[in-house]
Amino acid sequence: MIKDFTSIKKNIFKETNSILKTKKTKVFNSLDNVLKTYKEEYKYSPLLRKVSKKFDILKVDSYKEKKKNIDKKILNQYKNQYSIITINGLFQKNESKIPSGISVNTFDKLNNTDKKIFHKFFNNQDDSKNDIFTSINTINYKESLLIKIDKNYSKKNHINILNFIISNSGESINHIRKLIVSNQNSKSVFIEEFISLDSIENFSTSVTEIIQEENSEIEYLSIQNDKNNFHFNSINISQKQNSISNCFTFSYSGAVVRNNLNIKLKEKNCYSNMYGFYALRKKSHVDNHTTVDHIDENSISNEHYKGIMDNNSNGVFNGKIFVRKKAQKTNAFQSNNNVILSDEAKINTKPQLEIWADDVKCSHGCTVGQLDKEAMFYLQSRGISKEKAISMLLGAFSEEIIEKIENQFAKQKIKKITYKKLEYFTS
Amino acid sequence: MLEIKNLHVSVNNNKILKGLNLSVNKGEIHTIMGPNGSGKSTLAQVIAGRKEYKVNKGSIIYSNKKLLELSADERAKQGIFLAFQYPVEIPGISTTNFIKTAVNKIRESKGKKSLDAVSFLKIMKEKMKIVKINQTLLSRSINEGFSGGEKKRNEIFQMAMLDPKLAILDETDSGLDIDALKIVAKGVNKLKSKDNATIIITHYQRLLKYIIPDYVHVLIDGKIVKSGDKNLALELEKKGYDWVRA
Repeated sequence: MIKDFTSIKKNIFKETNSILKTKKTKVFNSLDNVLKTYKEEYKYSPLLRKVSKKFDILKVDSYKEKKKNIDKKILNQYKNQYSIITINGLFQKNESKIPSGISVNTFDKLNNTDKKIFHKFFNNQDDSKNDIFTSINTINYKESLLIKIDKNYSKKNHINILNFIISNSGESINHIRKLIVSNQNSKSVFIEEFISLDSIENFSTSVTEIIQEENSEIEYLSIQNDKNNFHFNSINISQKQNSISNCFTFSYSGAVVRNNLNIKLKEKNCYSNMYGFYALRKKSHVDNHTTVDHIDENSISNEHYKGIMDNNSNGVFNGKIFVRKKAQKTNAFQSNNNVILSDEAKINTKPQLEIWADDVKCSHGCTVGQLDKEAMFYLQSRGISKEKAISMLLGAFSEEIIEKIENQFAKQKIKKITYKKLEYFTS
Repeated sequence: MLEIKNLHVSVNNNKILKGLNLSVNKGEIHTIMGPNGSGKSTLAQVIAGRKEYKVNKGSIIYSNKKLLELSADERAKQGIFLAFQYPVEIPGISTTNFIKTAVNKIRESKGKKSLDAVSFLKIMKEKMKIVKINQTLLSRSINEGFSGGEKKRNEIFQMAMLDPKLAILDETDSGLDIDALKIVAKGVNKLKSKDNATIIITHYQRLLKYIIPDYVHVLIDGKIVKSGDKNLALELEKKGYDWVRA
């Protein structure tokens, strides 16, 4: 465990921007407090000990802007698609392909107007006061991105956010940081992936803050499909009037993943969908922590996570709904369904509701079960092998989440990945 | 084709079948009748390969193979088909996809090539006519939201697609109105050939108006207590099961 944070203090001294310096200092000063909440927040995922044994997690790798090349074959998979590309947390402008109507820049390259926007929102929405990994990210990130979506932007095509990690030169600790501002009436789709380009174990954190102005709509998919990555992901969304967010989190057999998804419905008539699917084998550990905070009236939040655990894998779901006193006429739904395939697999699930308003409609619940024996026999009695029957039933289980994806390209992509992964679930 | 000898089966330590004997030859239609709880469905499920049923004693030989050593999917590949009394609803898998997978898995096991989409569709359209089932139903999830009659017709449709050697219809007639009953019966008759055999499990003789069985067996308390021809069914309808028990 970490006892001494002084080693990261020098990163704050290095910060040349005074506003950022102040923000980072604040985060640094609250580190002891954050560690106190760690025990509760990571109750079923004692990961800090695990990762701090493997990695010097407070360390910052010393490289900067070293030229790195990504195998053409890998980039070809994303040919003719819009992509924002980072390598080890550093933005690769030349490799990226960004549609008109969206601007992507690192903090250093921002003009004064954009700098003001950045300062207005940066670190104000994230969970650095509650999550030790977000705190470390906030102090230690090397480069932060501002992704600005213009008013009325509405290209149907998705935008990939591809975070490549190359550890083979000893750089196994990476912090990815970005702020997305989705302006009025804009509509956009992002598919974010984390991809290790070698087989060396690495530790990464990614913190994303998303600001949704009035009437904006965003579909944000996060895919974790990397067995060498000890990954801590925090997505924080703040929504204004009439905005819509559709978040999807897909986690497949990986080493260790923690996802925090925090949504603040700050104004009236917001709509938020949170969907997740996890399919875990071997010693994978995936922890999904979500909060949705209904601050003003007449908003809807809808959450559904489903998961499959096989072998010795470990799943955690913790969903919190807050309905503040002012948030009358709130509709908030939450559910979590799990299928356990082996005696050694484990799921800890905890749906939570805190309601202060009196005129609301809320529900929450969770289920843990096994494959339906009747359905298995029905499929097998038609000549379908046990293995194939299992993967068909698990595929059907995933459908309910996948079919909610609006963007057709994203839906087909996820479907393909999911069904391929499910072929290995045969116990 | 099928030779069942002294079959003893239990579920959760309840003895259900207690020394059942049955012999079915190619080209024959057998009917098994009997009161509730006599073991009719258990027999059907055991032949199809349901693992939860424990065979304590006896043997089933099917086409010179020891059937009990095969898994459910292997039995289907050998030509055994069970039309379920309660077809299972499986949300998220389309009926068409499911049947296509089944047809191709069975073809594969015989060393035949998988059907491509076009030729599969062609065969499907042909067989759909037999049971008067429509395409929109088949594009939906397996049995999900199907009416009772639609579920039963879907079973016969699958039977038509899989072209089994031995078909067991487990109370396929129950819950059907007279029109649906006729459609199902017509389907069964159409699919009958001199190379395959059918076992019909039923409570009533009304299906037997449309499908003429070669043999009728009465199953009571886990044993076949009486066998005869189609006239036995008529007699049972008149006199009830107590008549055979006595």
